[in-house]
Amino acid sequence: MSSQVEKIDSDKIGKKPLSKRIYEHRWYYLLFSPVLLFALTFYYAPIYGLRYAFYDYKGIKEPVFVGLANFEKMFSMQGFWNAFTNTLEISLFKLFLTTFMSIIMSLLLNEIFNLKFKKISQTIVYLPHFMSWVVTASVFALIMSPSQQGLVNALLTNLGILEQGQEIYFLGSSKWWRPAYFFINIWKETGWGTIIFMATLAGISPELYEAASIDGASRFQKIKFITVPALMNTIVIVLILNLAKIMNLFESVFVMQNDAVMRQADVLQTYIYTQTFNSGALPNYGYTTAVGMVKSIVGGLLVVICNIASKKIRGRGIV
Amino acid sequence: MKTNKSSAMKKVLVLLIVLSLVLVACGPKDGGTSNTGTSTDTGSATDNGSASATDDSSSAEIEKPEKITIMVDGTLVTKANGRDAFKAEWEALTGIELEIIQPDHDAYTDNLGQVLASGDWPDVMLLNSAYYAGYAEEGVLWDMTAAYDNSELKTRVKDQALVDGLKIGGSLYGLSPSRGNGCITYIKKSWLDNVGLDVPTNYDEYLEVMDAFTNGDPDGNGINGDTYALSSAGLIGEEIPFINYLPEFYQDAFPSFYINENGQWADGFVQDNFIGALERLHDAYQAGYIDKEALTNGTSDVRNKFYEDKFGIFTYWAGTWGTNLKTNLEANGLDGELIAMEPIEEVGAYLERQAPTWVITSQAENPEAIFEYFFETMLDGGLGQKLFTYGAEGTHWSTEGGELLGVTYEDGQFHMLENMEKAGTLYTKNHIDPMMALTNFTEFDDPGILSVAEEALVSAKTFGENSRLVELVPSSDVMSQYNGDLVKLKREIVANVVLGTRTIEEEMERFEKEGGLEWSQMIVESLNAK
Amino acid sequence: MKKRKITTFDYVLNIFFALICIAMLIPLWKVMVDSFDLRTAYGMKLWPEKFGFDGYASVFTNPTLYRPLLVSTVATVAGTFVGLTLSTLGAYVLIQKDMPGRNFFSAMLLFTMIFNGGLIPTYLVMNSLGITNTLWVVILLPGLNVFNLVLMRNFFEGIPRSLFEAASIDGCSPMATFFRIVLPLSKAALAAIGLMFAVAYWNDYTTYKIYIINSDLFNFQMKLRSIILGSDLPTATGSATENTVRNAATMVAIIPFMILYPFAQKYFVTGINLGAVKE
Repeated sequence: MSSQVEKIDSDKIGKKPLSKRIYEHRWYYLLFSPVLLFALTFYYAPIYGLRYAFYDYKGIKEPVFVGLANFEKMFSMQGFWNAFTNTLEISLFKLFLTTFMSIIMSLLLNEIFNLKFKKISQTIVYLPHFMSWVVTASVFALIMSPSQQGLVNALLTNLGILEQGQEIYFLGSSKWWRPAYFFINIWKETGWGTIIFMATLAGISPELYEAASIDGASRFQKIKFITVPALMNTIVIVLILNLAKIMNLFESVFVMQNDAVMRQADVLQTYIYTQTFNSGALPNYGYTTAVGMVKSIVGGLLVVICNIASKKIRGRGIV
Repeated sequence: MKTNKSSAMKKVLVLLIVLSLVLVACGPKDGGTSNTGTSTDTGSATDNGSASATDDSSSAEIEKPEKITIMVDGTLVTKANGRDAFKAEWEALTGIELEIIQPDHDAYTDNLGQVLASGDWPDVMLLNSAYYAGYAEEGVLWDMTAAYDNSELKTRVKDQALVDGLKIGGSLYGLSPSRGNGCITYIKKSWLDNVGLDVPTNYDEYLEVMDAFTNGDPDGNGINGDTYALSSAGLIGEEIPFINYLPEFYQDAFPSFYINENGQWADGFVQDNFIGALERLHDAYQAGYIDKEALTNGTSDVRNKFYEDKFGIFTYWAGTWGTNLKTNLEANGLDGELIAMEPIEEVGAYLERQAPTWVITSQAENPEAIFEYFFETMLDGGLGQKLFTYGAEGTHWSTEGGELLGVTYEDGQFHMLENMEKAGTLYTKNHIDPMMALTNFTEFDDPGILSVAEEALVSAKTFGENSRLVELVPSSDVMSQYNGDLVKLKREIVANVVLGTRTIEEEMERFEKEGGLEWSQMIVESLNAK
Repeated sequence: MKKRKITTFDYVLNIFFALICIAMLIPLWKVMVDSFDLRTAYGMKLWPEKFGFDGYASVFTNPTLYRPLLVSTVATVAGTFVGLTLSTLGAYVLIQKDMPGRNFFSAMLLFTMIFNGGLIPTYLVMNSLGITNTLWVVILLPGLNVFNLVLMRNFFEGIPRSLFEAASIDGCSPMATFFRIVLPLSKAALAAIGLMFAVAYWNDYTTYKIYIINSDLFNFQMKLRSIILGSDLPTATGSATENTVRNAATMVAIIPFMILYPFAQKYFVTGINLGAVKE
């Protein structure tokens, strides 16, 4: 609604001279200055360090220029590509899965009539986010244990789906690791993801719902025609912003991976970790910067592509 | 309403700024301590110049430094555990100011790299073996071969092989004040008794014991088959010596680089005996002797299962853990008697890893003096060594009589004091483990040896008599390029074979196909080229 | 507020959520039970075998945990304030469609989300500013969060233009408009994003790990980690209550947010923002 108003506005505004517009907005520049200062100090000053991607730098002596050697080294290793594709697969699927689940849960939470129960449910579902991944991995290793002590296996045996003695080693199986990983992620992140959607839903005028009731709309129709469209903007923004970070996937995978599932579970950051710490040699910051650069480029491309798609489909992106 | 909000916000802002400034001011940076103004040479036992002649020719030029900066991890007492008292006593002993940079233990290697990158190097640092080799190559470390050879402490070193193991290309770049320790196999005595077997001395007997522990009723609860023989945290370790948790299966095979009979570097993974190791592991795992979850176990999971009486054989760190394991078993109402086994025949000797090494950086001014005043003090066989082993008087240990945690001590009896961080327990040591020190106490008897529990002593002794040091692997560019991927591939293969998802032949073929063999050969060549 | 009829859907929904809540709680329950259980155990239990407060006593009376808790609290409060200030100011400016350079600033900020100079260069810059190993770096460095800024901007865009126009007709300066119109109407956003900042600051481990060496300035998460991971050291003394303390510490990290959320939740009620708008 407001976007329509804005469009008309900017059409009406004739082009005033630049200097006049700058003067008119002088307070806004002032308000923005702390943000600008932070961006320059904490992000742009260090950006100069990106040049290390083209150097050999162990942190001890002066960096040595090696051109594209780090990139050659990176791209020539099969392990790198395996980790790269894994990162994209796991991260993208995780993003869409958890966002989708968060949306559904927000919609359902919004429908709870009893306010007290609603608050309690909201609080409980968002608590898992606060358990650190280290502890989470350890607890779920127990829950998914291939023995009668593992809840999942015990449940499956009791339901008759599995025989005793045939328990599944979820976390140690190349077939089951990823489903288990996604399951644990849903447990941990769904509730947290509802926060931003709940806040958006809080901005919907109750009059809209009342008007729809008067028109005889069912609950599901209300959700479909009022609630979901109101959420769309937030959903798209959350998705696109998260795309910028998908290549950074690390901790959740690191605590849960093991030797048997490397093919399925190795992601870029864990790959770099092994390279740096298990190779028995000193870390080469040039190499890690080069990988970081590749990660950033991929993330950036994804954002740009989705932003353009969003503009085409919905008329606006996030810039 | 709204103006209240903005002025309330301003008040909060001011309060916060004040609070954080206060915190910053109150968090004293180390190095803000006062100089011990007295620069008198102490007449005490630290100076090696006192009794025995210091025959190093350059001693005439050694000036006492005013300050020494060291960087160390959590193996030295932390601030919360009386580091200031330690520092004060050290400064009183040597007359030199000591600045201690001590990052959080987990963050140590990261912080080390950063501090070096910032250009402001400490004089002395503690390094793990990989970084020791790497930094030595890069010229970060000062060559202390001469200083050591001419030093007094050399004469008191119990086992020169430990020091020789640190030489790179014939030169010494650092010293470890204690041995690196390793894992020894503990067996629950009650379990052995219940199944009527003796401590195994070779692999066949070991198989028998494992079988009885798995399929019999070793815990005496009347149910057969609800236990298994052993468990471990992972099938192959992350760090050297890699096989410390499962020595009986690996036996003489080694998954990484070692020096063979010809004095050449080789990769143990591609040797024939490694296939045997894989077969043994596979068979034992499939027979249920090894915990099914060994692959995903963390060390605390394994310990918890041990305390729950789920398994009876546990290969774990020698020394103080001998007592820890016993105490925890007893706390759970079980019989805690453990036998620290001698290695079975096929294993021969347990592997001992390289301890973290103290080094002097090449940026340090006056490194000879630092060697004399820091290193020699740490291992002086007297007060300095006592400080590094047991801590500061009055904070970590005391000779005052009295009652502490239910035990009465006489006046003059040496005893450790209560742990400030973990109430209800006593301190056991500072940086140097008394059972593993490089040099003996010579000025007086080891004061604390009586306070060490019996089991710890026995396990440390048994280990010490039956272990060999793993070689220090130098680093090379080829290694840093390929070893990360090589290690990953090796570990994957071990996991697949043991779990039974692939056969050994398949996996060894895959090893070659995916480049593992090639990488291994390249690294070995680069190591031998040095 | 007329009472709505309770339908079968409501019953089903409530049962569904009750089940979901139970499922979500299972792992947390395990941690909680273990935090009260003095007998170390491997396995799920419904109830502690040997109930005791030792774990929590250890956490709360341990003098070495006071300071980290204090540090965490100060850093979280200060950091949330910094974060909200920057996000709201930035978002407010970015919704000014006719401001010259707006698109440039927007792109500039988004760029930082994607490209990062790296650990060592950032460390060196912080070092040259002299703020490494102080609380300033942990409060300021995570303060500019472009993700949150864009989300905030999204919320601000929902404020009707007519209000801004009315304000400028009344002679309100941009600052006044910000404080008197934008902020009061954004309670839900401020609550949500404020909460996200608070959580991020409280849970921050990596910034401390990289920049703080002085143990007086460690925060609670670092202490927690060292309790959880430290007992595995080959040189550690394992005490019988090590497991309890570990789980108690984990619970203590969760509890503040269990308590905080209900306060933030009252801003998530539908329609709360619409009181001021008379369209």
